[in-house]
Amino acid sequence: MSEMIRIEGLKKNFGKFTALHDVTFTVKAGEVVGFIGPNGAGKSTTIRTLLGIIKGDGGSAKIFDLDVWKDSLEIHKRISYVPGDVALWGGFTGGEIIDLFMKLHGGGDQAKRDQLIKRFELDPKKKAKTYSKGNRQKVGLIAALSVEADLYILDEPTSGLDPLMEAVFQEEIAKIKKEGKAILLSSHILSEVERLADKVVIIRQGKIVETGTLEELRHLTRSSITLTTEGDVAVMENVKGVHDFSIKDGKAVFYADNESINEILLEATKLGVKKFESVPPTLEDLFMRHYEA
Amino acid sequence: MMKEKFARWHVLCLNYFKRDWKKILIWTLGLAAFSGGYIPPFVEISKGQGLIGLYETMRNPAMISMVGPTPITDPSNYTLGAMYSHMMLLFCGLFAMIISALHVTGHTRKEEELGLTEIVRSFQVGRQANSLAVLIETLGINLILALVTTLIMTVLKVESITVTGIVLFSLSLALAGMIGAVVALVMAQIMQTSTGATGSSMAIIGLLYILRGATDVSNQNLSMMNPMGWTYLTFPFTENNSLPIFIGIVFCVVLAIVAFALEGGRDMGAGYLPAIEGKANAKKSLLSVPGLFFRLNRGLIISWLVAFVVLGAAYGSIYGDMQVFLESNEIIKQMFTMTGVTIEESFTSVIMMVMIGMVGILPIAIVNKLYAEEERMHLSQLYATKITRSKLYWTTIVLSVISAIAGIVFAVIGLGGTAIVAMNGESTMTLATFMKAGFNYLPSTLFFVGLSAVVLGYVPKIGKAVYVYLGYSFALNYFGGMINLPEWFSKTAIQSWIPRMPASDFEVMPFVTITLISVAMILIGYTGYIRRDMQEGA
Repeated sequence: MSEMIRIEGLKKNFGKFTALHDVTFTVKAGEVVGFIGPNGAGKSTTIRTLLGIIKGDGGSAKIFDLDVWKDSLEIHKRISYVPGDVALWGGFTGGEIIDLFMKLHGGGDQAKRDQLIKRFELDPKKKAKTYSKGNRQKVGLIAALSVEADLYILDEPTSGLDPLMEAVFQEEIAKIKKEGKAILLSSHILSEVERLADKVVIIRQGKIVETGTLEELRHLTRSSITLTTEGDVAVMENVKGVHDFSIKDGKAVFYADNESINEILLEATKLGVKKFESVPPTLEDLFMRHYEA
Repeated sequence: MMKEKFARWHVLCLNYFKRDWKKILIWTLGLAAFSGGYIPPFVEISKGQGLIGLYETMRNPAMISMVGPTPITDPSNYTLGAMYSHMMLLFCGLFAMIISALHVTGHTRKEEELGLTEIVRSFQVGRQANSLAVLIETLGINLILALVTTLIMTVLKVESITVTGIVLFSLSLALAGMIGAVVALVMAQIMQTSTGATGSSMAIIGLLYILRGATDVSNQNLSMMNPMGWTYLTFPFTENNSLPIFIGIVFCVVLAIVAFALEGGRDMGAGYLPAIEGKANAKKSLLSVPGLFFRLNRGLIISWLVAFVVLGAAYGSIYGDMQVFLESNEIIKQMFTMTGVTIEESFTSVIMMVMIGMVGILPIAIVNKLYAEEERMHLSQLYATKITRSKLYWTTIVLSVISAIAGIVFAVIGLGGTAIVAMNGESTMTLATFMKAGFNYLPSTLFFVGLSAVVLGYVPKIGKAVYVYLGYSFALNYFGGMINLPEWFSKTAIQSWIPRMPASDFEVMPFVTITLISVAMILIGYTGYIRRDMQEGA
């Protein structure tokens, strides 16, 4: 698989403040990469650097194997972008702005535009100043999804959208993914990333702290286990790999290191297992673990 | 029922005074100082035969349509007070009206839109308490304004400025403010959005102003039917007519009742006029960078071009009475007279410098707009397309230069056209004379484009500083004629390098040099713009 985005050791300072210390990750063709991190971690700064809106101070960033600053125009022909905060000209209607964005991007599909306007239930005849945050976001999304691109860069694309529209968005992303396009999806909404992303990149204070598929990341962490046994379940507390052990109504509840699952199960069977439930960690658990640590 | 509607309005009102006290301070002190503080300079101007000269000038229909009429028919009765209320009252009233209208929509419809009203209404507060509170607050502010104006004028007063006149003058200002306030409150109910409410209130005020300009010249009785007329037709210091004030108060009360009735009948966030449906598709003319930038700057360009023509026409209309005007006053004479040229030519060379200096505002505004759009993140999605920064930059520069040229043409046509009509064939000056004199200053206008371009490329945050330099060089040139400034000091203004046509002859050197410097600055700005970080939401 060819690499659509390749960032290595990217740095960016704003005056004395260092926004990006060391950002390294890749996005391959046909991959949806979830880019997560709290406010101010450097998500939008990374994305703006990728778009050549701002210039990195060190390291390298490439899209389609081209330098994001020097060859930005060549790159821009084949990407589509939605900013995190879509700001629009109040005096134009949504329809006018979508047309303008599509035309200036080049290669838009009018039928797709009309269909997306319908799907997202946007009234294109209203002036943009009357739009809510969600409606402004729809304008940005429709314009970005109506043009041809090999790479989509979406910065918190669903902020302000209601759950119904979020579902529409996810369906559209799934379609693009099926066509083999790459997507860099920065988001706060972890369930969304969990559903769409093949790979997750977690950024914290300008540094990438975790990269990998959701499976890989899960493996690094612990599953939540609920266990009921015929014998005294209390002995399980001392088994290697068991953490935060507690007993409630005869049920043992604890976290287990994924690499110790086998030993834990062996011990448990000695007691006679009546009930065993294992819940894999959610992205939220992963995320929290990184930020609480 | 009444209690229910307006419950706790006084709590809100008190809070609003607390919230707005800084604004109120600047508003009342600033406007009162402007309204009352010009007495000493007017005393200066009116020395000698100044009043008679100004009386002749102000009788010019163009001047009447701008500042209003005077009831004086005999020049010897044109006292300082008569002149003061004649020249100042309408304009100050207009300001009071506009500020009050903006204040009212800002705190009613705008807050409704922002969702603040929703929170306030969830407390034990009446449905219409906010509107009443804002209206009472505005009334309070306008009364403070009247009081401060009265105080300032009383301190500065001279013989013909009577106490009755001062009180009437101040009350006329307050009335003007309240008319603006109630008009805005009614529009806030009718329109769908706060921008609609602000825009329509301003349009009504503008329309009233233009209408009274026409009726003041043709038939003053008709101006008495115009709410704006009720402010200056009180004629302080001359007729001291208080009847318009009472008519105005009745008008305000009626309009306020109408506004409350309208508000009572609508849902929060709704209006009475349906929002106009826009286009679902963009016109072809919008779909390019030049098309987009033209649309974004269209309102700005058109309104400034109109302003230049009107300003030119206002100055041009003076040409008929030029001799009387110039000989009436030492200071003005000194400002305009040079040796060996006719008074008209001398006047043209000064006025042209003033006018083309003002034309400079437009190209600066257009260049600054590119940064404003960047900062407001309107261009974020466009940066990620194949559009180059070059394209954004050069489109802006070209638009700016074209507007500068158009600005000069419009100002010259306004000035020259009117002047030629006003002089009635008594001068050898033709439109070409004016056009040459205007384009003589083209390099100075380009210089402002260049300066804005450098700022845009390297220090975009201080874009407004270019206006400061414009204002500085404008003032230096404007007043430089009155006080003798050292050569090096007056040369810090860019226009000083250019000889003033038609009084002086054209010189190639400064024309070419300043043009080249401007082009160089535009190129320097370019190297900065294509390299720097875009500053979004900074």
